Amino acid sequence: MAERAKLSRAIKKHTNGWLFIGLVGAAVILLPLFPIILSLFKAPNENWQHITKYLLANYLINSLQLVVLTGFFTVLLGVSLAWLVAAYDFPLRRFFRWALLLPLAVPPYIAAYTYSTMFSYTGIVQKTLRTFDITPNPKWFGVMSMRGAVFIFTLFLFPYVYLIARSFFERQSGSYIENAMLLGRGQGAIFFRVALPLARPAIFGGLALVVFEVLGDYGVTSYYGVHTISTAIFQTWFGMYDVDSAIRLAAYLMIGTVGLFLVERWARRNRRFSSSTSKMRPLAPRRLRGGWCWAAVLFCGGVFAWSFLFPVMQLGVWASWTFDSVFTPAFGELIRRSVSLALLATVIIMFAATVVANLHRTSATPFTAALSRWVTAGYSVPGAIVAIGVLACFISLDRQLAPLYAALGMGTAPLVLSMSLVMLVVAYVVRFMATGYNAIEAGFERVGTKFMEVSRTLGFGITRTFFLVDLPMIKGAVFSGIVLTFVEIVKELPLALLLRPFNFETLATRAYQYASDEKIHEAAIPSLLIIGVSMVAVYVLNQVGKEAKE
Amino acid sequence: MSVVEVKDLSFAYAGNEVRVIQSLTFSVEEQAIVGILGASGSGKSTLLRLIAGLETPCEGSIAIAGRTVVDARTFVLPEHRGVGMVFQDYGLFPHLTVAQNITFGLHRLTRVQRQQRLQEMADLVQLQGYEGRFPHELSGGQQQRVALARALAPQPTILLMDEPFSNLDAALKQSIRQELRDILRRAKMTCLLVTHDEQDVEAICDRTVRLS
Repeated sequence: MAERAKLSRAIKKHTNGWLFIGLVGAAVILLPLFPIILSLFKAPNENWQHITKYLLANYLINSLQLVVLTGFFTVLLGVSLAWLVAAYDFPLRRFFRWALLLPLAVPPYIAAYTYSTMFSYTGIVQKTLRTFDITPNPKWFGVMSMRGAVFIFTLFLFPYVYLIARSFFERQSGSYIENAMLLGRGQGAIFFRVALPLARPAIFGGLALVVFEVLGDYGVTSYYGVHTISTAIFQTWFGMYDVDSAIRLAAYLMIGTVGLFLVERWARRNRRFSSSTSKMRPLAPRRLRGGWCWAAVLFCGGVFAWSFLFPVMQLGVWASWTFDSVFTPAFGELIRRSVSLALLATVIIMFAATVVANLHRTSATPFTAALSRWVTAGYSVPGAIVAIGVLACFISLDRQLAPLYAALGMGTAPLVLSMSLVMLVVAYVVRFMATGYNAIEAGFERVGTKFMEVSRTLGFGITRTFFLVDLPMIKGAVFSGIVLTFVEIVKELPLALLLRPFNFETLATRAYQYASDEKIHEAAIPSLLIIGVSMVAVYVLNQVGKEAKE
Repeated sequence: MSVVEVKDLSFAYAGNEVRVIQSLTFSVEEQAIVGILGASGSGKSTLLRLIAGLETPCEGSIAIAGRTVVDARTFVLPEHRGVGMVFQDYGLFPHLTVAQNITFGLHRLTRVQRQQRLQEMADLVQLQGYEGRFPHELSGGQQQRVALARALAPQPTILLMDEPFSNLDAALKQSIRQELRDILRRAKMTCLLVTHDEQDVEAICDRTVRLS
């Protein structure tokens, strides 16, 4: 009796408009994943036998190989650069400190076709070598392979590891490293015995982002002909027209990524132990001398050149060749539509993210905690899964609505919603909710709950408190959330490629379309536009880091 | 009649068996200044948060001015309880001026009434001339007075103060204690004040409740 009264008291206390909107948002994210989970309980079809017998092992091995190799090399590159920039001083260090984030502005699929053309027989690399009368074996430059995919992913995804590891070294390792030095340990021992073990959770967090990107990738692997589970989902769907088996493959991939996601959460849980002690002293970089100094500049410069400067310069050259033929009024219209679509999805995401984040903050119950965790789980679900789940949902929604369509005189069983942009917008919301949510949550964490509580004891409910007190204080976080989400959507490829209505193109699909039609030079202009927009996001990311430092 | 009636109040943090507050009963009569004393971790601040409605007790009831605000089946939201609270670190809104902070809780008054109340409050805590400043432009003692004025402005039934002197240095503490007592007397305010310092209690309070 008392328990029931308490429960009804709790429900009354926590029920408000925010909860309702939050639940709708969570349902939108949950629904597309539902058919995928359900598929595991259905009997597989004949085609599935064929897939498991001849193809699945191959897909699995390729995916695994790609993840392990890319993971290894991104950690190697990311951590060594982060340590170099955080712990040592050398010429151009301040420039490299942020310049090494720029590769994040180049989507890997753009890098993939840029590099494959640069390394081809008629590309700039082999051509230049031939002018010096060196005719290398073309096999050495075969990037259209597993090796090439690892190369591309490593060069363009390492900044995830670099960024997280660097800010960890700079902010949280100072006093430990000073202690180790006072205890008489050398530089190598300090790195391997102190800095590296302390940074392990941070490195793991960055690595998880890389792994999710690689598992979710469609552009690079399909262009390079590497068969992974993600590309296999598309092939069974469009090549074999077997949606059931595609959904089943998606379910297996999802089990894998959810497992990884849980491991990552678990690893991050441990991070508290390393940072909750007293105030951390920032690490004072130590000056490098002589040969070491030049080696450091050369290493950073080399990585920067290959992971940003060279490909962007090459794209610039191609863009100048094709500017007149590509930059037509129709292309201007494409940009306008692509940008307005991204803006629309961003607005929806930021609205829902703010509601859920505020809900979790104002009534911290296990229920709202689960809600917010569910919302952020979206980033670990590969695009292929989101795409197929959203499609399955919309087709069945159209079927449910068929009587309504018929009543409106639209014919029997037309596909109305699943042929419209609504589907793509929903897919973006599912996929990128986490980007917006994390930004908002970081803002709320910095502000704390104190001001909200003051406002409530002064007679304001949570809605008015939000607009009067919270929103002005998290303005910056909302802004960076908008920029980061917008950019993610502009450069997103697989969802747009699969779910766009007939005749609708985004900048990303146009670039990829050109590239798959062997019109690499024409792809340069949309590619450079995407890179330009993404550089704004990198700038914001860097600013956010600075703020947190203060 | 007592302004606050706390009966058999118990509280434990979610997922924690140990009760921070165990079957606490006491009441506060009108215009009394009651000190709550106890070691750190004894649930002093939690008690204030329970009265303000920022936490929910697992057992017991609280009534404010004769109205039950929380028991096993009732929960009145903090914004409807009519309590004023001065937080330990004041929680002045950094994006609002002193005047905007003080008038924040006066949204039900007309503009003229609001201005009038602001002047009364500025007089009461002696902060005339500081209305246009932002919180970061004030000293610690001034910030505390703004927080006090802000909590008193909507004329709450009871004022809750969480460690009001903990952020002030020893010399300032002495004068502010006296000042606070005068202000509360002039405002005819009932006040519940949390502290770990016996001297605070001796200087200001009519009586004390000890938490163990």
